[in-house]
Amino acid sequence: MISLAGRDILHAWGKFVFTGIGLGLLIGVTLVMAGVYRGMVDDGKALLDNSGADLWVVQKDTLGPYAESSSLNDDVYRAILAMPGVSQAANATYLTMQVRKGESDVRTMVVGIAPGALGATPGWPPYLVAGRQITRGHYEAVADIATGFKLGDRLAIRRNHYTVVGLTRRMVSSSGDPMVFIPLKDAQEAQFLKDNDAIWQSRRRTEANPVFNRPGDPGLLDAVIASQSSNAFVNAVLVTLKPGHAPDEVAESIQRWKRLTVYTRAQMEDILVGKLIATSAKQIGMFLVILAIVSAAIVAFIIYSLTMDKIREIAVLKLIGTRSRTIAAMIMQQALALGVIGFVVGKITATFSAPAFPKYVLLTPMDSVAGFFAVLVICVLASLVAIRMALKVDPAEAIGG
Amino acid sequence: MSGKGIHIESLSKRYGDGDTAVFALRDVNMHVAPGEVVGLIGPSGSGKSTLLKCLGAVIEPTAGRMTLGDEVIYADGWKVRDLRALRRDKIGFVFQAPYLIPFLDVTDNVALLPMLAGVANGESRAKALELLTALDVQHRARAMPSQLSGGEQQRVAIARGLVNRPPVILADEPTAPLDSERAMAVIRILNDMARKFETAIIVVTHDEKIIPTFKRIYHIRDGVTHEEAGEGREFE
Amino acid sequence: MKKLPLQGRTLALLAVIIPLLVLFIYVGLRSGPLAPVAVTVASVESRAITPALFGIGTVEARYTYKIGPTFAGRVKRLEVHVGDQVKAGQVLGEMEPVDLDARVRSQESVFKRAEAALREAEARQAYAQTQARRYEQLFAVRLTSEEIVTTKRQELQIADAALSAAREDIARARSDREVLLAQRSNLRLIAPVDGVVTVRDADPGTTIVAGQAVVEVIDPKSLWINVRFDQISASGLAGGLPAHIVLRSRGGQTLKGRVLRVEPKADAVTEETLAKVTFDNKPEPLPPVGELAEVTVDLPALPAAPLIPNAAVQREGDKVGVWQIVDGDLHFSPVKLGTSDLNGYVQVREGLKNGDQVVTYSEKALTARSRIHVVEHIPGVSR
Repeated sequence: MISLAGRDILHAWGKFVFTGIGLGLLIGVTLVMAGVYRGMVDDGKALLDNSGADLWVVQKDTLGPYAESSSLNDDVYRAILAMPGVSQAANATYLTMQVRKGESDVRTMVVGIAPGALGATPGWPPYLVAGRQITRGHYEAVADIATGFKLGDRLAIRRNHYTVVGLTRRMVSSSGDPMVFIPLKDAQEAQFLKDNDAIWQSRRRTEANPVFNRPGDPGLLDAVIASQSSNAFVNAVLVTLKPGHAPDEVAESIQRWKRLTVYTRAQMEDILVGKLIATSAKQIGMFLVILAIVSAAIVAFIIYSLTMDKIREIAVLKLIGTRSRTIAAMIMQQALALGVIGFVVGKITATFSAPAFPKYVLLTPMDSVAGFFAVLVICVLASLVAIRMALKVDPAEAIGG
Repeated sequence: MSGKGIHIESLSKRYGDGDTAVFALRDVNMHVAPGEVVGLIGPSGSGKSTLLKCLGAVIEPTAGRMTLGDEVIYADGWKVRDLRALRRDKIGFVFQAPYLIPFLDVTDNVALLPMLAGVANGESRAKALELLTALDVQHRARAMPSQLSGGEQQRVAIARGLVNRPPVILADEPTAPLDSERAMAVIRILNDMARKFETAIIVVTHDEKIIPTFKRIYHIRDGVTHEEAGEGREFE
Repeated sequence: MKKLPLQGRTLALLAVIIPLLVLFIYVGLRSGPLAPVAVTVASVESRAITPALFGIGTVEARYTYKIGPTFAGRVKRLEVHVGDQVKAGQVLGEMEPVDLDARVRSQESVFKRAEAALREAEARQAYAQTQARRYEQLFAVRLTSEEIVTTKRQELQIADAALSAAREDIARARSDREVLLAQRSNLRLIAPVDGVVTVRDADPGTTIVAGQAVVEVIDPKSLWINVRFDQISASGLAGGLPAHIVLRSRGGQTLKGRVLRVEPKADAVTEETLAKVTFDNKPEPLPPVGELAEVTVDLPALPAAPLIPNAAVQREGDKVGVWQIVDGDLHFSPVKLGTSDLNGYVQVREGLKNGDQVVTYSEKALTARSRIHVVEHIPGVSR
């Protein structure tokens, strides 16, 4: 048996390959689009993975610490440590802010990590790509390479300077901002400490208040000011569990006895993926649909015009006794071949262009496989028009007159 | 061999019904014996294309009877289920323009029919090559149709028409695009082939140059045929 | 039977398709989740480490002298300003005496009156004594009655008593005067030690309650740093350990110091241990009190033990350990960690031996099924 489609493609391979490459670029865009969505989901999951926590304890009735703001007293963790099933509990703060380095600044999520046993404390970056973990309790930072910082760089966060001692990779907030890890106490200060002018003004206001500034009680004013400028809050307590304890049970007991809100990993994912990026996901979904339609239209048009070019030959083929099945197969095979070339080109372009995107683009093999079959289905559907037309050709046309 | 070849009795083709009915063919009788080349001549609109299409099993006549070889293919209705297979296996076509498949080379253009019929590729190509050799175009066996001259193309088209050894070949103005020398060559080939492969060949033409070559000619006018003897002039 | 035209076309097609396919396969295997994870490895080495502690604190003065009057009053003059060097015994200022001088004068008059009263008592006593002696002699020759002699003796006793009362009056008047003089001298504000004025809370004319400070003087030699160490990383902190001090205003400059003592009371709220660190040499110029300082305390060097970089330590489930490379395969070895230093090295007590290969850096989180390929640097890390 002879492959008419293959022979036709070989005959006009230039046209075919270039059309395929054009289609491939479109498919590449589609794959990248899907990758952008996966990247957003993965950002959220990376955030959860990197925190290393089994449970997140946050302010009562908030969706914190990532989706809403949450603040807890920083000694709450001691009470949580005493709950059955809890292995480690560590304070953490999260604050999205601009971090300055010299003239430039970078949007980052500053994470305050509690001091604790190396490797066991949740909240620490789980792996590094360079440098070391924080060893000093102050003024050291571990930054994500996406910030562009290098080892030894000096960063300014609020009024303090931090030395970058380690670099991480894929440590991002749910919105894709790279993380900078700093010691908890510094982070608390960075989060709640006002600028110097504000502190001065606040002091003046306190001084002006006769209740606090009594002539007969010289120490009172200092005490009041000191109490105003201290900060004993964190955004969340990250909890890891002892083996053999179900997250839901421990969460339930903390929730009940400590009157705090607790999220398990599954609930947190639900918040991040289901709530934070829901609209963005729909947006991308719309784009995917549009791109699929555009791709289908292009394949349909290309196959249609390729078939139109051969309409005379198809009439002859029919006249000399070629079965409709053979002709339909020829057209469909061409459409599929076009789709395969397009997919290969698309996959290659998507993979090579993905790192150039400012936000994370995750191309999963399953997406590629699904994309491949989607392309094939689209090609089959798109070829139906051309096939229908080819089958309607009257073999008598070949005889003419 | 009276039973072989193509035999048509009272074949009619009517378009439309009742008052508006138009007869394109009216009780046409025709017989072409194996090895015979007959001409079918008529002005435009005379019905010769309709007759050709009926013979080629492309359109259905309204009444009459057609026999191809021993097989009755039409008797007030198709008697053959698979008309495509019939066309593929029993009828060879040679057209005014060669209509070669542009993306197949010469051999495969010829070998396509047996291939489609399920004959192995090698065998089909061998058959094709045999015919191409017979038609003296074997040196262009690997060329693409676009690289051939008009005469070569027509010869390849004839080879394609002959490849399945059909009992009947229908040639529709096969010489129209050719100059007289080449036209004569084509007719000579058709005659040679008819003799060689015992094929009944019907040549539809109004090419004055070749009309004298037919031994028998059917004139068709307003859907009615008249048989007359041709000059049967021999070739050089 | 040459298939030249087709062959040429086929070749050209292959020239396009094959690179595409090769790229495609490369893309499929070398990127995304199927790609091997780039890792760097380090071998476990036995080395001595010098663990250190890191804390921050503020510069404080060990002795702060708050100088003020002992009673309420108004400031008369104040001659020193913030930053002035003062010597021990130097008069820094004076309080307004108000009525103190008049009271001293009145006390002097009282004293003089008492002196006059004394002279009168002495005169009376001398006369009573003479009389008593004369009547004793007259009585001895029986020229007078015993009753008169007894009267004269009594008069003498009364005159003696009056004399001693007058003497005591004088002593009292003198003491009263001295009290006032002492109070007057206390109006002066005097520096108790050599030092620097750090605070001047009142200006002449200001009324001050008793005990309120007018000026504060610190002894610059007594500057120290009140350092806070996180309790988690404060083990081994003890008095006498050498320390390096970096003042916030002098970023590049390290000053030498020593831990003076670790406070017996820690801060329960901030979970910090407090310690005092003194400077070995007095820094010049003096850092302002309250300046932030970073203090690194060197602990005694520990004997050599297997060391790994702290970046290698990871958590898998509830176990802390490292990814070890054994025969090219990854496997997770739980370890027990010992002391660590500030340069990112940590001792391994159990779980690894010298020469073991452990993963320090990886491109992404590792699992036991990860395919790895060992590189010098993780790609993307700018040097």
